[in-house]
Amino acid sequence: MSFRYIIKEGFAGLSRARLAAFTSIFSLFIAVFLIGLMVRVGMNAYDLAQVLQQQVEVEVFLEELDGESTEVIRERLNQFDFVESLTYISKDSAAAIFREEFGLGGESMASLQFLPASFRLTIHPDTAIEEVDSVVRDLEEWEGVDEVKFNLALMQMLQSRIEMTALAGGTLALLVILAAIVLVYNTIRLTIYSKRELIRAMKLVGATNAFIRRPFLFEGFLQGVIAGLFASGLIYALFTWLVPTYLPQLDVLGWPFGEWYYLLGGMMGASILMGWWGSRWAARKFIRRTKVYI
Amino acid sequence: MADNTVISLENTTVIYDDLLVLDRINFSLRAGEFCYLIGRTGAGKSSFLKLLYRDILPDEGSVTVAGYDVTELRDKEVPYLRRRLGIVFQDFQLLPDRNIYENVAFALEVTGEKKRRIKQRVLEVLAMVGLSHKKKSMPSDLSGGELQRVVIARSLANEPRILLADEPTGNLDPEASSTIMELLKEINNHGMAVLMVTHDYDTVRKFPERTVQIRDGRLEEVKIV
Repeated sequence: MSFRYIIKEGFAGLSRARLAAFTSIFSLFIAVFLIGLMVRVGMNAYDLAQVLQQQVEVEVFLEELDGESTEVIRERLNQFDFVESLTYISKDSAAAIFREEFGLGGESMASLQFLPASFRLTIHPDTAIEEVDSVVRDLEEWEGVDEVKFNLALMQMLQSRIEMTALAGGTLALLVILAAIVLVYNTIRLTIYSKRELIRAMKLVGATNAFIRRPFLFEGFLQGVIAGLFASGLIYALFTWLVPTYLPQLDVLGWPFGEWYYLLGGMMGASILMGWWGSRWAARKFIRRTKVYI
Repeated sequence: MADNTVISLENTTVIYDDLLVLDRINFSLRAGEFCYLIGRTGAGKSSFLKLLYRDILPDEGSVTVAGYDVTELRDKEVPYLRRRLGIVFQDFQLLPDRNIYENVAFALEVTGEKKRRIKQRVLEVLAMVGLSHKKKSMPSDLSGGELQRVVIARSLANEPRILLADEPTGNLDPEASSTIMELLKEINNHGMAVLMVTHDYDTVRKFPERTVQIRDGRLEEVKIV
C-alpha cells in the first residue's frame, strides 16, 4: 500500500468533512486541555504539600552526653529511611538561637546554658505518618534521649489533605479522561459515519478493511496533533503569561519536573494517542459492520 | 464446478427474519455467458447478488464464485473475491467529491496498483465506455447514463471475470438504457460473464439472452417474449 495514499487521504478526509473533523478536534482539545490543567494544578498542589511536609521536624533533646555517646545517637538516627536531613544543635548553638529569638532580654538566661543539645530531623516527604510516630515513641526510650518533640497533629493534617487532594484529583482526572474518550470515540464515529458512502464504495471495489482503516487512523492522528498543539499552546500561554500577569499570587510554583516540555509533551502524546485510538476503535467497529448494499 | 463455470449455486437457501427468500436454488453461469435475473420486487434478486459478492451468507447449500467457495471464505479474503467481480448498482455509488478519473482510479488505488499502471488502465476503461473527454468532470456534471458508464468503467478497472449488474438501467431513460445495454453486450462479447438483475421486461425483449426468474423463492429458466 502506498504511504502517500494514506497521507493524502488522511488530509483530504479532514477537509472533506470539515464540520465532523472540527467537532472531533474540538472535543479532543477540551479533553487534553482539562487533563493538562489538572496535571499542572495537581502537581503544583502536590509540590506545595511536599514543601510543607519537609518543614515538619522531629526534635530529639539529649541528656548531658559526651561526644562519643552523641555520635552513637547520630549514627542510629541516620539509619532511619525517613530522615531527610539531620542537624546537631549543641548547647552553645541552642543558646545562640535562644538569644537571637528573644533578643537582649534572653541574654542573661542563655548564659546559664540550661538549654539541652538536640538533633533536628527533617522528614522525607514520602514518609507515612504512622512510621514516624512509632519511631518517635521508640526514641523516647533510648538511653541518652531526654525528650522528643514532633508535631504529630500538623503532619496528620498535611497527610490527610494530601490524600484527599490526590483522591479527589485522581477521581476527577479519571472521569475527565473517560468522558473525553467516550466523546472522542463518538465524534470520530460520527466522522466515519459521514463517510459511509466512501466506505461502501471501497468495500465494493475490493479494499481490505485494514486498507480502509488506515487513512482514518492517520486522520485520527492528525486530529490528535492539531488538538494537542492548541491545548498545549493554551496551557503554555496560561501559565507563562496569563497567570503571572493577572494572578501573580498563584504564580509561585513552576512546571512539573521543572520544565514546560514534560507537561506539554505529555499532552501532545495523550492527544495523539486519544485521536489515534478513538479512530481505531470507531473505524474497526464501523467498517466491519458496513455492508456494500443497503 | 465445470472448468468454464464462473458462478455456481447448489441447493442454496437464504432465510431473512423467518422468511424463506431463496429456497434450495441451483444455478450456474459459464465464462462469457450473459444472463438476466428477473423477478418481482422483494422476490430475492438482490439477496441472490449479495450472496455472490459475499455481503450475506447462505443458510444452506453452497455458493462458488470465480473459483472461491464463498461459504468457506474468511472475512479477510472477501476483498480478494470482490476484486474478481465487477459490481454495478442502480444508485451508482460514485464519490461526489472526486472527478471521473479519480472515481475510476480509486478502484485500483485500493488494490495497491502502481500510479503509472493506474493511469494507463483508467484511460483504457474510460475510452471503452466512451468517456475519455469527461475524465476531469465531477459526477454532478454528468447525466444518469454517463454516470452509469463511469460505474461500469470502474467495475472493469480490475479486469474482473464476472460483471454483476443490479438494475443498471433502473434510473435511466430509454435512450440511456439502450446505450448501457449495448455497452454491457459489448463487454460480454469480449468474454466477460454478465449477470444482470432487472425487472425491465422491455430491455430483456430488446436484448434477448438467457433469463432466469425467482418466484416464491425458487429459481426457474424462463423465456420472455
